[in-house]
Amino acid sequence: MANEGGIQATIEASPDEIYDIELEHSLLEANEKLAKENRALLDQHGTTAIDFMGAIGSGKTTLIAKLVEKLKDKMGVAVFNGDATTSNDADAIAKQNVPVVQIATINGCHLDANLVGKGLRKIDIDKVKLLFIENIGNLICPAEFPLGSKARVVVVSVTEGPWMVRKHPHMFLGAQLVVINKIDMAKAMEVSVEDLASDVHKLKPDIKVIPTSCKTGEGIEKVAAALLAV
Amino acid sequence: MHEFSIAASLVEKLSEFVRENPDKRICEVRLEIGELSHIEHDQLHFCYESITKETPLEGSSLKIDKVEAFVECPHCSYRGRPKYWDDILAGAPVVTFQCPSCGKTVGETQGKECAIKSVKFSQIQPVPS
Ligand SMILES: Nc1nc2c(ncn2[C@@H]2O[C@H](COP(=O)(O)OP(=O)(O)OP(=O)(O)O)[C@@H](O)[C@H]2O)c(=O)[nH]1
Ligand SMILES: [Mg+2]
Ligand SMILES: [Zn+2]
Repeated sequence: MANEGGIQATIEASPDEIYDIELEHSLLEANEKLAKENRALLDQHGTTAIDFMGAIGSGKTTLIAKLVEKLKDKMGVAVFNGDATTSNDADAIAKQNVPVVQIATINGCHLDANLVGKGLRKIDIDKVKLLFIENIGNLICPAEFPLGSKARVVVVSVTEGPWMVRKHPHMFLGAQLVVINKIDMAKAMEVSVEDLASDVHKLKPDIKVIPTSCKTGEGIEKVAAALLAV
Repeated sequence: MHEFSIAASLVEKLSEFVRENPDKRICEVRLEIGELSHIEHDQLHFCYESITKETPLEGSSLKIDKVEAFVECPHCSYRGRPKYWDDILAGAPVVTFQCPSCGKTVGETQGKECAIKSVKFSQIQPVPS
């Protein structure tokens, strides 16, 4: 019987023996609870948060900047940039005159719900309809830490090679949308966008996969539409 | 390395137990970790050992029980183990969310756990005065 994670039973012990107690306690529970609180706060204000995950350099910041450019005149948008060390990404987006919060993580491996919750207190949430959250460039850790977003997007790029989906399946199982970015480079990289998409569908048959190029602008409109529909 | 955050919250919980029970010494802690949670057992052991060094928890052993994944299909009536993708490039079989029965997307019902199950401790003998 799991309760709040408290001690279920204590046994009076006599010396020289080893005793066992059940101690049901989830180690991810604290983050999950805060993620739910974030979500409740966002819902209450009619704000949709989208979490972008993906490898270092897959194009998360560039894609978010393109989406912001497309949407900022139609609705209130804001961006949270998870960045381990620098404020380069936050600076790049702040140029567009939308609220940006840079979230520096301590161990640099993932954003967590606590940090995002702090970020939410820094913006005028009533004015924000769509919140983009850029997670740390990491294919493994962020999957374990929900933030309270309505959808999680994985951004992969063809420059990561043809096998990246099957080598990092974990992140895709928890996502609601997959973007295959840098398709302008596909030919030079000899990587098939169709094969990458088919790998994603082997993991999760119904997930939407959108090929994009932030360079030519191809697919950006489709990503914007998909995000507005979540 | 999210294993560090997990080891840190594990040690925090165990330290709470040690504070509340100063006459007990923890010798073993047993965790349950789901097949769908991406936690490297070796990394977790390593983090646990480094955090507990020179604390009352030093030397306690960490045992990990793996919990199998189970899925449920909202499109057909399938409930059971997930479909695996046997691909040599992936190294080990990969869990997928493709329904083994109808091929559509399933959801998990078990396999994401990451929890303390039980703790073994011994009673510290009072020092004879
Ligand atoms: N050719 C091409 N380059 C792109 C595309 N999208 C992004 N890039 C480039 O890829 C590089 C990395 O892009 P970022 O947007 O910084 O990637 P990121 O995922 O935010 O990276 P981190 O925040 O460091 O994890 C930059 O030089 C971008 O200009 C694309 O569609 N095509
Ligand atoms: Mg970036
Ligand atoms: Zn089915």
